[in-house]
Amino acid sequence: MLLVPGAVGLWLVTGGRALAPSTARLVALVAASVGGAAAVAATVMRPVVDRAWIPDLGVRWHFEVDGVSAPLVVLTAVIGVLVVAHAFVEQPWADAPGSGSAATYLGALLLVVAGALAAFSARDAVLFFLAFEVVLVPMWVLISRYGDRHGAAARADASARFILYTAVGSTLMLVGILLLVTRAGTADLGELPSAAAGLGLGEQTTIALLLTLGLAVKVPVFPLHTWLPAAHTTAPTAGSVLLAAVLLKLGTYGLVRLPIANVPDGFARIAPVLAIAGVVGILWGGLICLVERDLKRLIAFSSVAHMGFVVLALASGTETGLQAALIGNIAHGVISALLFVIVGGLKHRWGSVDLAVVRPALREVSPRLGFALILGLAAGLGLPGLAGFWGEFLALLAAWNPAHHTGILRTCAVIAAVGAALAAAYSLRVARVVWVGDAVPDDVAGDPDAAPSTPDARSVELAVMGVLGTAVVAIGVAPFLVLSVTADAVTALVGGGR
Amino acid sequence: MTLQMQWSLLLPVLLPVAAMVLVLVVDAVAPRARLAAPVIGAFGLVGGAVTALPGLVATGPRLTLCTPAPDGRCLWDGGPLASTLQVAALLATLAVLALMSIRRAGVIEVVLLLASASGAAAVVASRDLGTWLITLELATLPVIALVAWRDRRAAAHGALTLLTTSLVSFGLLVLGTALWVTATGDPTLTGQSLAAAWEAPETRTLAGLATVVLLAGLAFKLSAVPFHAWTPTTLTSGPLPVSALLASASKLAAVGALVVVLAPYDAVVGGRPGPHVVVSALVVLTVASMLVGTVMALRQSEVVRLLAWSTVAQAGWILLPLTALTVAGRQAAAAYALVYAVASLVAFAAVRAVHGWRVEDGRELTAYRGLLRRDPVAGGTLALALLVLAGLPPGVIGLVAKVVALRPAVAAGLWPVALVAVVAAVLGIAVYVRWFAVLFGEPEAGAPARPRSRRASLAVAVVGAAVLVVTSVLPQLLVGLVS
Repeated sequence: MLLVPGAVGLWLVTGGRALAPSTARLVALVAASVGGAAAVAATVMRPVVDRAWIPDLGVRWHFEVDGVSAPLVVLTAVIGVLVVAHAFVEQPWADAPGSGSAATYLGALLLVVAGALAAFSARDAVLFFLAFEVVLVPMWVLISRYGDRHGAAARADASARFILYTAVGSTLMLVGILLLVTRAGTADLGELPSAAAGLGLGEQTTIALLLTLGLAVKVPVFPLHTWLPAAHTTAPTAGSVLLAAVLLKLGTYGLVRLPIANVPDGFARIAPVLAIAGVVGILWGGLICLVERDLKRLIAFSSVAHMGFVVLALASGTETGLQAALIGNIAHGVISALLFVIVGGLKHRWGSVDLAVVRPALREVSPRLGFALILGLAAGLGLPGLAGFWGEFLALLAAWNPAHHTGILRTCAVIAAVGAALAAAYSLRVARVVWVGDAVPDDVAGDPDAAPSTPDARSVELAVMGVLGTAVVAIGVAPFLVLSVTADAVTALVGGGR
Repeated sequence: MTLQMQWSLLLPVLLPVAAMVLVLVVDAVAPRARLAAPVIGAFGLVGGAVTALPGLVATGPRLTLCTPAPDGRCLWDGGPLASTLQVAALLATLAVLALMSIRRAGVIEVVLLLASASGAAAVVASRDLGTWLITLELATLPVIALVAWRDRRAAAHGALTLLTTSLVSFGLLVLGTALWVTATGDPTLTGQSLAAAWEAPETRTLAGLATVVLLAGLAFKLSAVPFHAWTPTTLTSGPLPVSALLASASKLAAVGALVVVLAPYDAVVGGRPGPHVVVSALVVLTVASMLVGTVMALRQSEVVRLLAWSTVAQAGWILLPLTALTVAGRQAAAAYALVYAVASLVAFAAVRAVHGWRVEDGRELTAYRGLLRRDPVAGGTLALALLVLAGLPPGVIGLVAKVVALRPAVAAGLWPVALVAVVAAVLGIAVYVRWFAVLFGEPEAGAPARPRSRRASLAVAVVGAAVLVVTSVLPQLLVGLVS
């Protein structure tokens, strides 16, 4: 499951650089599919790989999929196949001469997917950290080499921000992990909760603070989010999709796995701060979305808002909260992937996605893209029956009945509900501008040069959007698909450490 | 007094010395045989490394040069940690010899290299202050001559800087040695005598002072801030292979010497009062080196100067685990130093492969634009070395080394240091990624042409990179060596 995309990705980056784009694409697609199929098989059969790797550090090569990680592994596998398939639609290597070869691009995609799969299935705290770091350099390559062709400076800035912010977070997390592991005496995530139960409250709080702070950069939680819009705006579509659907999940998954599972008492002490940060993120993201002109940036900020809900749910410290966070994670992964595919497609067609530019209505010129956009926006604003609803609804529910700090969290829940209304407002704004469109003067509309044509989605792009759209509806209609998988593991997590 | 001797344990040092003598003899007999010196030198270094290999896997004690019982003291320890450092220092010197290129390395260079290598191999195994002091200087002084051994004004300047520094350092080391002997009444570095000295307040102060002075002297050799000033000047003005020597074998010798001095503190560290003065001295060195080195490296655009400041920063990382004053900490420092030495050797070899053997100018970052495409071998090995130095996968071993180095400090509860290390790690990533980013992209028209004779440099870079790749897949190979 890890080996195939990892090895092929590495080979494409190093040896296969001279490969023709079409061959490279085929190889990468096969690798991603095989890896994805293996990942899905692993979630069903739950095999365990456990062998010594660095005995002196107590680090074991220990992979296992459990209820918490299973949905995320499947999500990553599916997204992995989709982003590689998307390379048939958008070809960043062809757009910008001198950026790099197709093989490097695809190899970097595969490496990110492999790293994320490894992180989600790692059952050893130090191994989790190592896998967490694996995704950094390939993602940096994607942003800096294959990003927005308009600004080299913007690319350099965005990629440097991405790698430095994430490195700050992961190194803080490393200190937290090392402290936890040396104090508890084991690095096995299965044994850690019971081993760490004996730690004093002060120590637990320190560890939780370090871990949470480190992971909050990745999520991103409100004041630490400033790397995200820049990275999303400049990254190629596939990079944005991976970033939103997979990498951000590493942050929330890490929060569930490390501080909440191992040092629950310490986490409970800092939970109110986290909840407030989450709510500020919801409001801040929503307000910016109301005025943001660049559609890609807008979706990036809406990501901040959505992750605010997830963080709020986590801060509640209840079983419902964890469930909400996990399903919110998956839902956000699917929805944001869908939106980024659409917006990336639009950017590709139009050259920019500035909302202030008057363009013909999407529903008329390309109804399929338009429909997918409406679906994504509706899911994003949390319409019942679509994926986004359950995450937000359960998050608010959990925050209303938290395990601790009832007053603060209830206030947060009320404010978050207002934030959800903001989401509706900005989603409708986007729908009005892009989908309904403005009345384009006849002389402009008739002139093919002035209004670039917007061909509708076809073949692969349509298939990618189709899969994501189906997932959005499926999770919305049948949330128990995800919830039932995670339920047992969540019960064990909440109950295990006490 | 009779000394009990076990010759096989001394061979890693004796073989390079024998090779040195042989080189001189051959030169006296047949001065025209120019290839003889480097070949004999290479055999001496390889032979020394091979004889040190049994120490890597040994489980029992490997002590020799022992005074007779009952209160026998051994002056020589060929245990796993020392043997690992010996092998590494000898092989690093061999790599430097290859970088000098077999045909250009004259008798003098080879002799000086061999002297330095035998000094480095001896200091890591020594257990008494006399041997320690002399062999440490033996490891250092030939390098000064190597820097000066070419008719360039800048090189003479660099050598003078290094000489002045070394003299100050030597003075401090002698003073520290004298203080140590006064405090403990024992010229060997053993835990019992230090523990005995620690009992009484007067001798405790003296022992603490001795250690701090010794640390200051060693900080010069390790180029730790605030004793680093010679590093950028000397590394940029001397020949590139000698800079590589200073960054690899000399660094390993300094780390080995440091480990030897700090080893007796095992007996004291848990006690009351603990060795606070030593810990604070180490912490100051660590924090200052990490921050100053990284920030200065961030500003450089000349690659060797950048590598020189990165040496300073990495010295901080090597010192970081030592602040814990534990066995694990010393092993971690040695492991980190090994990773750093290999990565920096690869980086220097790649730089040499790019610029050829005489180029002093144009070593700007811009000259590396598009190197990955223009020159995949040099570019690829350099990229890997930079990632290892930055501690980013796929250079997993660099990351593992950082984990290894942080762990003892965190376990000892040294918070502020660990947090400074976080800052330094992130800034360090910025330093190396700056260079790494240049390697991508379109080659420029004005890029320097590929030098012709560079097979040896490429070979060093490739072998070093292979070591990094293998240890990245199986870090235990390296981490397990030192413990």
